Amino acid sequence: MELEKKIIRYVAPAFIFVIVAIFIYNLASHGWIPHPGKSTYQVQCAQCHGDKGEGIRVLIPPLKSSDFAIQNFDSIPCWLRHGISHEIVVNGQSFNQPMYPIKLDDIQVANVINYMNKEFFHSDKEISSAWVRERWKHCEQ
Amino acid sequence: MRFSLFLLLAIIYLTGCNSGGDKLPVLGFKTTEVREVNGQQVIDSVDYTVPGFTFIDQDSNTVNAATLQNKIYVADFFFTSCPSICPKMMKEMLRVSDKYKNDNRIVLLSFSIDPARDTVARLKEYCGKLGIVDSKQWHLLTGNKDSIYSLAKQYLVSAAEDPDAPGGHIHSGNFILIDTQKRIRGYYDGTKEESVTKLMKDMDLLLNEK
Ligand code: HEC
Repeated sequence: MELEKKIIRYVAPAFIFVIVAIFIYNLASHGWIPHPGKSTYQVQCAQCHGDKGEGIRVLIPPLKSSDFAIQNFDSIPCWLRHGISHEIVVNGQSFNQPMYPIKLDDIQVANVINYMNKEFFHSDKEISSAWVRERWKHCEQ
Repeated sequence: MRFSLFLLLAIIYLTGCNSGGDKLPVLGFKTTEVREVNGQQVIDSVDYTVPGFTFIDQDSNTVNAATLQNKIYVADFFFTSCPSICPKMMKEMLRVSDKYKNDNRIVLLSFSIDPARDTVARLKEYCGKLGIVDSKQWHLLTGNKDSIYSLAKQYLVSAAEDPDAPGGHIHSGNFILIDTQKRIRGYYDGTKEESVTKLMKDMDLLLNEK
């Protein structure tokens, strides 16, 4: 009898707590709580690069699995700040259409890069807004 | 009594269905015209129509009234260095062009509002990037700047130079549907997938219209 009471008093709440925690974890990891970079991506990038990062033919390069972006990862904050206006090669295909500077603050850039990491670059890497500010100091122009 | 009420309702319901829905409206303000019919003067209302033009496309072909004779066409305004909405508009227009690829009743027109920079060579290059191969159906057009701007006005959409805007120009992202009689039959948001899907439905309706 005593044991049963103990179970109800301690084990049951712990059990419910674990269920709720798993539920919330699932929500977050399955994207039901949207990634903070998602809305920035959809508003600022998707009209060109596409919702799934697929790009548009040979006009706009894909972000999905882009070797160019993955290899030059550290330059992404500068590309967004200053644009890209020279020929580039993405996954074996050359592109030459200017991307204009996009007005975003350090936090938005960090969020959107983390979103791309997860969705397009197959990476768990998380960068911070401080990293973005640091990278901006080393832009080439 | 109950049956006839049911019949009445059924008739109202059915005729209601038939009268609407499957015919597109004619847009733009109507004007009136005095005509002579059998020696008598009558006042007739005239639908708004878009004016003709002569411009050059990506293959240096002249595009004018003759090109558009008996065609249904979709028009939009863009420029190749447009940093904002044009890529998305082009992507949506590609869907239209893919669907009506071999249909010679349809023409697509993209007018450049930056004709000084958008030379024939540049339009051709842009077409290459987009994979536009059939220049008989989809014409990217350049020509006299003032004529293009006044044409945009007559298609009832906005286009203007604005040094503060990204790319130096502002313009509407509308796709405009024009029938064989040059009447405007619909406006669609060329940056929205749903809206362009609606455009293609409306094009099918228009193709079946007598
Ligand atoms: C107006 C269209 C447009 C918008 C909006 C845009 N881009 Fe781009 N982007 C381009 C073009 C065009 C290029 C290719 C530049 C070149 O050819 O030199 C490019 C290149 C890139 C590249 C490098 C090439 C690749 O595919 O890996 C990255 C990364 C990138 N963009 C990220 C972004 C992000 C993130 C955003 C939103 C914050 C964004 N872009 C918004 C047009 C755009």
